[in-house]
Amino acid sequence: MRDDKKQGKKPNKDLAVKYVNPKSSTLNPKQQSRRDFLEGTGTAVVAGAGISALGLPKAQAQTPTTGSRTAINVTVNGTPHSVDVDDRWTLAELLRDELDLTGTKIGCNRSECGACTVLMDGQPIYSCSQLAVWADGANIRTVEGLAQDGELTPVQQAFVVNNGPQCGFCTPGQLMTATALLNGNPSPTADEVKEAMVGNLCRCSNYNAIVEAVVMAGENGGVA
Amino acid sequence: MSEFTREGLEPLSTIGNDTPRIDAIERVTGQAKYTRDWKLPGMLYARVLRSPHPHARIVSIDTSAAEALPGVQTVITYENAEVVWGAGSVNGGRQYNDPAKDATIHRRYIFNNPVRFVGDSIAAVAATDRHIAEEALGLIEVEYEQLPFVLEPEEALEEGAPLVYTEGNLCPDFRGEFAPMVSDIGDVEAGFEEADQIFEERYETGFIHNAQMEPRCALAHWQGDKLVLYTPSQGISNCRHDTARDLGLEDHQVQIIAKYMGGGFGNKNQNQDADLIAATLSRRAGVPVMLEYSRREDWLGVHGRWPTVQYYKIGVKDDGELTAMQMRAYSGMGPYRKNSGGISGMDAYGCQNRYREIHPVYTNRTTSGNFRAPSDPHGHYGVENMMDEVAYQLGIDPVEFTLKNMRRPTEQQQFTNYSLEEVINDGAQRFNWQTRRRVTPGSDEGPIKRGAGFSFMMFRAGVGTSSAILRVDANEEYTLYVGVTDIGPGAKTTMGMIAAEALDVPLSQVEVVWGDTDRCPYSVGESGSRTTIMTGIAVVEAAEDLKRQIADRGMPTGSDVLVASATPTPTTDGMTRQCFGAHFVEVEVDTRIGSTKILKYTTVHESGRIINPSTARDQIRGATIQGIGSALYEDLLYDPQSGQPLTPGYYRGRHLTHKDIPDIDVHFIEVDDGYGPFGAKTAGESGIILAPAAVANAVANAIGKRMTSLPITRDKILGAMA
Repeated sequence: MRDDKKQGKKPNKDLAVKYVNPKSSTLNPKQQSRRDFLEGTGTAVVAGAGISALGLPKAQAQTPTTGSRTAINVTVNGTPHSVDVDDRWTLAELLRDELDLTGTKIGCNRSECGACTVLMDGQPIYSCSQLAVWADGANIRTVEGLAQDGELTPVQQAFVVNNGPQCGFCTPGQLMTATALLNGNPSPTADEVKEAMVGNLCRCSNYNAIVEAVVMAGENGGVA
Repeated sequence: MSEFTREGLEPLSTIGNDTPRIDAIERVTGQAKYTRDWKLPGMLYARVLRSPHPHARIVSIDTSAAEALPGVQTVITYENAEVVWGAGSVNGGRQYNDPAKDATIHRRYIFNNPVRFVGDSIAAVAATDRHIAEEALGLIEVEYEQLPFVLEPEEALEEGAPLVYTEGNLCPDFRGEFAPMVSDIGDVEAGFEEADQIFEERYETGFIHNAQMEPRCALAHWQGDKLVLYTPSQGISNCRHDTARDLGLEDHQVQIIAKYMGGGFGNKNQNQDADLIAATLSRRAGVPVMLEYSRREDWLGVHGRWPTVQYYKIGVKDDGELTAMQMRAYSGMGPYRKNSGGISGMDAYGCQNRYREIHPVYTNRTTSGNFRAPSDPHGHYGVENMMDEVAYQLGIDPVEFTLKNMRRPTEQQQFTNYSLEEVINDGAQRFNWQTRRRVTPGSDEGPIKRGAGFSFMMFRAGVGTSSAILRVDANEEYTLYVGVTDIGPGAKTTMGMIAAEALDVPLSQVEVVWGDTDRCPYSVGESGSRTTIMTGIAVVEAAEDLKRQIADRGMPTGSDVLVASATPTPTTDGMTRQCFGAHFVEVEVDTRIGSTKILKYTTVHESGRIINPSTARDQIRGATIQGIGSALYEDLLYDPQSGQPLTPGYYRGRHLTHKDIPDIDVHFIEVDDGYGPFGAKTAGESGIILAPAAVANAVANAIGKRMTSLPITRDKILGAMA
């Protein structure tokens, strides 16, 4: 079900990152560069001399991509930014390293856990698996953009009241997916919450409390 | 649902009331600063090069091309950076300390040659940007001579098996002797003589990665001869001491800062190699260095619960009385003895004749180490399934069998209080055990079968030394200094609540300072379910002292403050202090496809007095769900031909998602035994101990076949039914 997440807004960007077959001849340069630092997807099982590091194929590593840059315009939490981004940066890196919005977390950097979830034009996406250049023209909302003037949104409030975070590392991602859900469905049932949030893992396994909080937020007037 | 039974307990003002975490706002607004969120001027990013082979000798390493890559500042390898990671391998797998360091035979270094598992570290690069550091790793030329490897602990002990160390594959104990861990109580052979029936079975359990959401990372910053280390640690005091020892520094030369951390479950105890690698790189580069592990590196390079093989032999009389219990077991430790390899569970029985022999074994899998209740869930799974099978074979209700045989207080060993019987009976009633269990296992008609299982435990809730400092100023604002980190259970809030209660002030008047060794006193660390009890007792003592000072001298005025500090070493007066629990679960197994669904899950725990109901509730729910995951799904599989790990990561590890989660009913029976802060015991580890045992028993009750191997995957159920 995690595959339901919208992968960027333009169709030709949808190929992104998730499970690119390294043997495919249709790889575009952006995917190739992504593969350079996306460790492990499918190469780890190969035994023997072809591997130089953990799952990092030697042939690719020998042709390093030195950082070419692209100017993009992106609106983040209502603030427009013109940024010269390294073509290798993920959206998560742009947000965290360049814009200092470190609320967005990197748990796996490979579309497995959802800790990096942000809203791109209202849709929850894994920001670890979007290149920053693909965000050109997009409207991004992160966990820092939820509360307005110190006023928590209903789902943030419900997380506070119902112990939504344990370690708190998955919390920003959980909140962003919940926000997108509540925007479309202001009073979801527990099953609808589970369905919508299946792509956000919590190893503290605080799932019950999170679902209860999102349902509670809906009951408290949900829209974020 | 959750319910707290407090019969006979005096209500308190702060403790026992549902209290939002004192840092909840930071956690839901993205303001909480985790280690990777820090950024220091001039900071470099670092990456580690790891072995792609399960066992190999490095013939040569050439870092010249990596060093020539623009942006690369420092490259260190096993050849030029020999730092012992003391806590990474300890004789006997005990707590790392000075005697352990001297005694340890098989030391682990931050970089190793030979490499002994896929993921063993051999070099690291610091560069101006993380992508450059990653590119540089690919430019390091390493020539390996591959060596024979061994993956399974039993095979590793066979004659002629590939040797992880020349002395053999049985791990040395804390004395440096190559001997199994043996516990011999009573006369087990006489017990078997006395038995009417004897049952034997082999059980096995898998490697369960801690899989905390925040991968390992460390930011090292040298200020002259002082190392400031930002690192996610479950015990900043121990982390400081271990790091200082490993780097040849005094404790005061190391400052550990762990403000927020994304879980650990035992994965972030003490110091880790990442701390030492970052510190070494930073010292050479002369600037701060941020080392980040990828998810895959964290999975393979840190540690998870040890896989085990357990052979049981049980003697029993026809009326269900146990006469002898024997276990011979093997724990796969990987190539370094990071922790004990223990397997618990038999201790929960009163049987007078018990023999246990555990062989911790080196293998060429990834390293095993502590994961939430390190010795318990896999042991309870083995023992409780053995006992469940014996009970059904004798035609006895497993709950009755337990009540007959479980450990109870004796004159020789008294308990501070004993609630086990109450917990079990309460759970059976709430769950409706008699209706849900199948008296004849597997008796449901048709391919979809239901059944119920049960398990029980007692778990240490001992007291011990820790410290706290409390200060009050003229505005009657209290500041509590405790060396805790908040790994998830809410230690900061718990400590604040205990202080507020002991001081008789509202929580809003207490500020908690935590997570920084330069600002906080010693604390035991967030491991072993110790913080609430041990640091909590220190907080109560400091509060008592401060109240006496206020009574004697009045509230401070002007810029004066009053300060109290406490480092108590409490005892339990020769009694054992335990928390208690029982889990009951109903499952539905579709025998056509081998799937298992949890229909109902009831937990009853006695964890003393509960400080904060909502966080205690979610410790039980979360730990139980982790336990369900290890019962049904999680394992780190290896390809026996290549020695390569096949299932690292959340997808391949098949971790539970929102959609897989059943409701978990939580009931606490609250007591105050007069020990612990306001009677509090522990909740953090209890929940995970019982789930694998209870779920496996329930599956056996549904399908009528004993599942002797965890995780109970579909193929195993289909195999059992075939």
